[in-house]
Amino acid sequence: MDTVIDQLPKSVDAAAALPACVNGLPNFEFPSIDTPSAFLRAFTDDASNPDVPIKPQHGTTTLAFKFQGGIIVAVDSRASAGSWIASQKVKKVLEINPFMLGTMAGGAADCQFWERWLGSQCRLYELRNKKRISVSAASKILANVTYHYKGSGLSMGTMVCGYSEKNNTLEPEIYYVDSDGSRVAGQLFSVGSGQTFAYGVLDQGYDYNLSVEDALTLGKRAIIAATHRDAYSGNSCNLYHLKPTGWVYHGNYDAAAEIWRLKEAEGSFNDIRTK
Amino acid sequence: MSNPSEINGGSAVAMIGKDCVAIACDLRLGLQSVTVSGDFEKIFQYGGNFVAFTGLATDVQTVSTELRQKHALYEMVEERSMEPNTAAHLVSSMLYSRRFAPWFVGPLVAGINSTTGEPYVCSFDSIGSMDVSHDFVVTGTATNQLYGMAESLYEKDMSPEQLFETISQTLLCAADRDAITGSGGLVYVIEKNGKVTKKLLKSRQD
Amino acid sequence: MSRFNPYGDSSGGSSLAIAGADFAILAGDTRHSTGFSIDSRDQSQIADLGDGLFLTSNGFSADAKQLVDDLRTQIKWYHHNNNDHKLSISAAARTTMMLLYGKRFFPYYVNPIMIGMADDGTGAVYSFDPLGSYDREPSRAAGHASELLMPFLDNQVTFANQLDPQTGEPRKRLDLDLQTAVDLVKDAFTGAAERQVQVGDTLEIVILTKDGVDRQYYDLRRD
Repeated sequence: MDTVIDQLPKSVDAAAALPACVNGLPNFEFPSIDTPSAFLRAFTDDASNPDVPIKPQHGTTTLAFKFQGGIIVAVDSRASAGSWIASQKVKKVLEINPFMLGTMAGGAADCQFWERWLGSQCRLYELRNKKRISVSAASKILANVTYHYKGSGLSMGTMVCGYSEKNNTLEPEIYYVDSDGSRVAGQLFSVGSGQTFAYGVLDQGYDYNLSVEDALTLGKRAIIAATHRDAYSGNSCNLYHLKPTGWVYHGNYDAAAEIWRLKEAEGSFNDIRTK
Repeated sequence: MSNPSEINGGSAVAMIGKDCVAIACDLRLGLQSVTVSGDFEKIFQYGGNFVAFTGLATDVQTVSTELRQKHALYEMVEERSMEPNTAAHLVSSMLYSRRFAPWFVGPLVAGINSTTGEPYVCSFDSIGSMDVSHDFVVTGTATNQLYGMAESLYEKDMSPEQLFETISQTLLCAADRDAITGSGGLVYVIEKNGKVTKKLLKSRQD
Repeated sequence: MSRFNPYGDSSGGSSLAIAGADFAILAGDTRHSTGFSIDSRDQSQIADLGDGLFLTSNGFSADAKQLVDDLRTQIKWYHHNNNDHKLSISAAARTTMMLLYGKRFFPYYVNPIMIGMADDGTGAVYSFDPLGSYDREPSRAAGHASELLMPFLDNQVTFANQLDPQTGEPRKRLDLDLQTAVDLVKDAFTGAAERQVQVGDTLEIVILTKDGVDRQYYDLRRD
C-alpha cells in the first residue's frame, strides 16, 4: 500500500518526455550546485534581502477559531511583493473539500500548490478508505511535506480546519501547520504579518458561547483591524463558517468600506483624520 | 528593510494647470509594515511656495524646519517673498551641502511666480539635482505608480477643478497599489490670484 | 550571497491584458533590451499556444521562451492523450502553475499572463507569479512598466476611487466595450513608453473574440 512517504516528491532529472505531473506532482528541478538553498535564499527570500530579483507574493492576515456553533475562518485578500501590491483579490481560503478549509499565509504559490495537492490526497483517502479523512490526518500529510522540505525555502503558515469523526461524533479541529514543520492543534489562531492586530481584537471579544452571528462579526472585525494597521494586509475580507455539514461562504467585504462603516457604527478608528 | 527612504513610506505629486498648480501628498507614517499615524502631513507652506518632503520621517521634519528658518531669514533680509524657482534652488543647495551625508528626502516644490504668473513645479533627488517640469513631478515610494497614473491622466491647461480631480485620482490610485503609501490624502490647489484651497481626500484606510 | 546567478537582464518591455464580457485583449510592446541596450525593435512577446490561448511572460526572456516551449509540449501531449480535445483556459492555467511550481527550487524568472475565452464565452485573463500562484483577473500588467500600468487599469477598468457624480457612491463596475478597451491599452502604453526606457518601438495587440483572433499594431516612441 502506498504510504505518504512514497508520495513525497523526489528530485528527478527534467525528462522532457514526461508529462508535467507524475502522481499529481511536478518533477522538481534543483540547480546543480552544492547548496541550492543558499541560491534560493539569495534570489527569492525577501526577508533576508529586500532587493531580491524574484519577489514572491505574500503578506497577510488570516484567522480561525472554534466556538459553540462551529469554526469561523476569516482572511484578507492582499498579496504584496515587497511594497508593491500585486493583487487585491487573492483567495486565501482554499476549499480543500466541502468539509475542510485551508488558509493561506506566507508564499502564495507554496500555499496554493500544496493545499490543492492536499485536497487530492484527501480525496484519494476517501476513495481508498470509504470514509472522510480526519483533519488530524490531513494536517499531518501537509506537515510531513513541509518537514521534508524544511530549510529549502518554502514559506507557508496555514490552518487546516474542519470536522473529524471521533467516537461516532463530529468534532471541530483546527491545526496550524507551517513551513518549519510545526503542526499544532488549537482553539484559536491568527497567522500572518497582521496577526498581532487580529489577536488584539480576538482576545478581547472571544467567548466560546458566541452566537454564530456574533462570531462571524468578531472574525471579520479582527481582520478589518489588521487591514487598517498592517500595510501588507488589506483590500477585502473573506468569511467562512464551518459546520458539521460542511463550510458556508459568508461573503467578501471591502476593507475600506467596512472601516468607514465601523467608524460610524462603533465610533472606532478615531485615528483617521476626517478634516 | 534597511533602505532609509522606505522605512516610513509616503509619496507626493505636483501638477501644473492653467494659471494654477496643485500639490498632493498621502498622510501615512509607518514603521515598515505597521501604520503608526494617518495624520502625517508632508506638505509645508513657505509664503506662496509649497514644498512636499517624502522619505525618512525624521529628515522630513528636520529639513522642512531648516527650510523654514532659511525662508524666514530671506523674507527678513529681502523684504519680499521667495519666488518658487528661488525656493527650489535653495532646497537644492541645502541638499547638496550634505552631499556626503545626505538627507533621505525626496522634495517637490510647487508655486506660482508672482511677477510672471507662471506655475512652477520641480522635483529633486536626495542630493539636490533639480528636475523642473512643464507638466508634473512625483516623489516617494510610489513613484512608478504615480508616473503611470499621471502620464495617462494628465492634460495641458486644466482648470483648478479639473486639476484637483486629476491629481486626486493620480494619488489615490497610485497609493492603492503601494502598501506603504496611503491612509488618506491632502491636496492643495494654488491659483494665480493667490487663492489656496486645501482639501482632505477620503481614501482607503487599509 | 550565492555566486550562482543563472538569470540575466534580457527581457521584453511590458505586457497588459484586459478581459471583457465577450473578448480578451493581450498587448505587448516589441522592444527587446538587455540593460540599456536595445537588442531588437521587432521581437514579439505574445506566444500563440494553440487552442485559442495566448501567453506573454515578462521577466528573463530565456526563461520566458522555455516556459512557452514547456507549455506547447504539454498541450501537444494533451492532444495526443485526449483525442485532440481542446485544452480549456482554466486547465491550461493549472498546467502552467504545475510547470512553474515544478521549478520552485530553481524558478523561472517570469510573470506570465495568459488569455483565452472561458467555457461560458466570457473573456478570461489569468496571471501568475514566478512560483506559480495564479488567479483569474479582470486586468493585469506585467514587465518593466507593470507598476506604472496597474494603477491606471484599476482606475479605468474597475473604476477604483471614482464616485458617481449623481449619487456620490462608488461608481459601479461595467463591462468595457472592445473599442474602449483597445483605446485604453494604447493610452496606457503611450504613457509607459514615455517613462520607462525598456518600453517602446511598436505595440502589438491581440484581440480574441468568439469570431477569432485579430492583431493590431501601433507605433510607440523609438527612443
